[in-house]
Amino acid sequence: MKVSLFITCLGDMFYPGVGKDMVELLERHGCEVDFPEEQTCCGQPAFNSGYHSDTKKVAKHMIKTFEEAEAVVTPSGSCAGMLKEYPGLLEEEPKWRKRAEELAGKTYELTQFLYRELGVTDTGAVLHARATYHSSCHMMRLLGEKEAPYKLLENVTGLDLRDLPNRQDCCGFGGTFSVKMTPISEQMVDEKVDHVEETEAEILIGADSGCLMNIGGRMNRRNKKVKVMHIAQVLNHREIQEGGEDYADENRAGTNI
Amino acid sequence: MPMKIAPEQTFNERVQTGLDDSYMRETVRSAQERLYTNKSKAENDLGHWEEWRTLSEQIRSHTLENLDYYLEQLSDNVVKNGGHIYFAQTPEEANQYVKKVAAEKEAKKIIKSKSMVTEETSMNEALEEIGIEVVESDLGEYILQVDDHDPPSHIVAPALHKNKEQIRDTFERLKGYDKSSKPEELTQFAREQLREEFLEADIGITGCNFAVAESGSVALVTNEGNARLATTIPKTQISVMGMERIVPTWEELDIMVSMLCRSAVGQKLTSYVTGLTGPRGEDDLDGPEEFHLVVLDNGRSNILGTAFQSALHCIRCAACINVCPVYRHVGGHSYGSIYPGPIGAVLTPLLEGYEDHKDLPYASSLCAACTDACPVKIPLHEHLIEHRKIIAEEEKKTSLGEAYAMKGFGLAASSPGLFQMATKTAPYMLSPLTKEGAIEKGPGMMSGWTEIRSFPAPEKERFRDWFKNRSKKGSSS
Amino acid sequence: MTKGTMYNREAFLNNIAAKLGRERKRSGVTRPIYETQPQWDVMADYSTDQLVDVLKKQCEVIHTDVEETTMEKLPIVIDSVLKKYGAEKAVVWDDPRFSAFGLDSFLVREDVDIWGEAPGRENIRISEQADLGITFADYTLAESGTVVLMNGVGKGQSVSLLPTYYIGLIPLSTIVPRMSQVTRSIHKEAEAGRRVPSCINFISGPSNSADIELDLVVGVHGPIRATYILFDDR
Repeated sequence: MKVSLFITCLGDMFYPGVGKDMVELLERHGCEVDFPEEQTCCGQPAFNSGYHSDTKKVAKHMIKTFEEAEAVVTPSGSCAGMLKEYPGLLEEEPKWRKRAEELAGKTYELTQFLYRELGVTDTGAVLHARATYHSSCHMMRLLGEKEAPYKLLENVTGLDLRDLPNRQDCCGFGGTFSVKMTPISEQMVDEKVDHVEETEAEILIGADSGCLMNIGGRMNRRNKKVKVMHIAQVLNHREIQEGGEDYADENRAGTNI
Repeated sequence: MPMKIAPEQTFNERVQTGLDDSYMRETVRSAQERLYTNKSKAENDLGHWEEWRTLSEQIRSHTLENLDYYLEQLSDNVVKNGGHIYFAQTPEEANQYVKKVAAEKEAKKIIKSKSMVTEETSMNEALEEIGIEVVESDLGEYILQVDDHDPPSHIVAPALHKNKEQIRDTFERLKGYDKSSKPEELTQFAREQLREEFLEADIGITGCNFAVAESGSVALVTNEGNARLATTIPKTQISVMGMERIVPTWEELDIMVSMLCRSAVGQKLTSYVTGLTGPRGEDDLDGPEEFHLVVLDNGRSNILGTAFQSALHCIRCAACINVCPVYRHVGGHSYGSIYPGPIGAVLTPLLEGYEDHKDLPYASSLCAACTDACPVKIPLHEHLIEHRKIIAEEEKKTSLGEAYAMKGFGLAASSPGLFQMATKTAPYMLSPLTKEGAIEKGPGMMSGWTEIRSFPAPEKERFRDWFKNRSKKGSSS
Repeated sequence: MTKGTMYNREAFLNNIAAKLGRERKRSGVTRPIYETQPQWDVMADYSTDQLVDVLKKQCEVIHTDVEETTMEKLPIVIDSVLKKYGAEKAVVWDDPRFSAFGLDSFLVREDVDIWGEAPGRENIRISEQADLGITFADYTLAESGTVVLMNGVGKGQSVSLLPTYYIGLIPLSTIVPRMSQVTRSIHKEAEAGRRVPSCINFISGPSNSADIELDLVVGVHGPIRATYILFDDR
């Protein structure tokens, strides 16, 4: 199956390792991966701030960029959700709307694609660690994907996955919310960090880099020793010997978020 | 003005007051957890929750689309039953009518059961101005009234922001209470205090959870029994409703009440669901001799026919408030309106305009927990985005800096050359700020971020560079 | 009956129609056929015995005691509940079912007042001072543990509200799965142009409140304890 990668801004600039793991994962499960060079951003920052005419330009550009793709897969529930907002955004332009619907129909978040489209439940990953999973809001509620990440994590050899208390709660990221309403965002992320600590996890796993950047950034500031990993990194993780980490691309060891 | 809470403070000041109130925050946190558990259990017990939501949404949307028809039917039936119905465009008109009825009845004392609409109109103050004593009988409202008219912070549990010790102190100071802070004893005290008031009251004023068009009835949903008392003992009953709180028939009432009780408190039905149809019959020995229904618009009609119409589907269950993490931390008063939480952030600017409430649509991380919780499927977080759109693009009330930044973003993200240049140069631009792969003190917008968290430094080799080099090498593993 | 009045309707409703972007709708509106109607699937095939089980379980949740008995033993059981509550004065509905179910001797007791025996508002005062109120259920809802009372004339709404304790007498023939069955029958009445009772109460146990720290307190403005007495009348 041919898959076009939508890497997202955060994935491109800050967490390239996530994309690399994703490419390897998809290829290992029989996909031919391409990366449309023209891709930019899903436009969510502008959309959620109410700048919809500015967002429309971005949306149209993204529609054009992925027009030829068979399936668009992205390591973010939130950005996948945004691509699915395009038809509504372009409601008043019927031709664009139709093209937007085509894009929305073939867009998947990574775990969703692996689990629902490829039927994968076990990626063959090995990771001996105590971990907990933050189920990001947009993945759960906008995309409606509440199952795929858990199904895949269940089969990671050695992973002791702990329930995150109040897992339905937002981490306080919310895009511009995190900088516009900093004092409120702080309370929300602190609550999340406290819950992560309660699980005694060594690793916090997530499927959205935005949330991970937020929780990870706060944990760093609070000197918490919890490591943060994107789910793609976990699902592509190998161990050759005790304590050693084996990535397909050996130069990349240690590219965790 | 009547909907406002602490208007002398800015939004940020109110938020800070909320964040600093550790009693309130602990009470709200534990209440939210309990309500979440109870509601989830109620949903599971019922089964097919999504089907119930779909049905509820369909009922609400059909009713609102035909609102004039159903209100006409309702009013015809109220009159046929011998009741009086008054359509009030404004809070002043509503208050004026109620004052007129009170004056005709030479009322000295009015007992009230909980009504958010009368909070909207400041009806108590209006009645007190003409020398009538108004007594709130809902336990939460009573606590607030005793405590020098503290405003409500939640639409179902209005005194949620107070803990039991604070309530005991208030009763002790102002009502001569001398027992413990046990909720049982505090409640028993209120029962004793209020029973006399009920027996003496000339008029009972209630809200209206739903009016039923086909029979001209008013349905009241309570646990305490105070709405029953207010409609059983006084000789005159006045019910006040927001114009959208109506269902076509008793069959739809069944669905809406089933959803309201579960969503609000996780109960299958509250202790009392009472359907009142006109004044008492000729041979009846209790119930009101006179029945008045006041239907209030107060800006609601301006929402009809707009992108926000579904906000009028709201049945005031507070499910969105009970799951909102922002509400949990800042409390109800921060919203500056008697309608707090997500529904408040949607509704308040619609009813009162953006001028004083332009921060509210931003008081959300758009986590959509509210949308998920809503029993009538109001897309609350989408409405918040719609507000932001109006504020940014029509009202132009956002900062110029933000508007330019977004314009720049729109431009860059729709032209790959520009975008790539920006992402490629970012690591170099930010390198003076970077220490050990993280930025601890960022400039401009970023300062809000780095005030409380580290920001990762951008990688020098972007994903796209890696991918390109990789394909050049022709490697695939 | 007093004559009803109406104020400001036309301008108000015209405005609504205008905001909805159309002419006033005065007729021709029918309720949609709702695409999903899950209410009718709830306990659809339950027998009376199964419904009784559901009811009893729900009564634990709503802090309501349940007694099960036969028609013959009804007077004894009522008396035992009166004793349990230490009730010295009871008030009951003026309801032919008391006679029909063999409770004539109960009605003539010194400590029992019948709604409507006294003149006018005096009945309210009597109920307010009674320790216990007794009514029959006109319908009973298994799902929510609810007795439905169609009030009016001899069936004063005060009886189930003002006394400290409440007894709901539940003939098993009144049990239905949930609210839907009752509201449908009220709807049929209204549709046929008949006036529905001026006060219909759905009562699920004693009054309660959670307004203080969301702690449930049983017994606020209405009765502080309640017992349902179930008996087979079939």
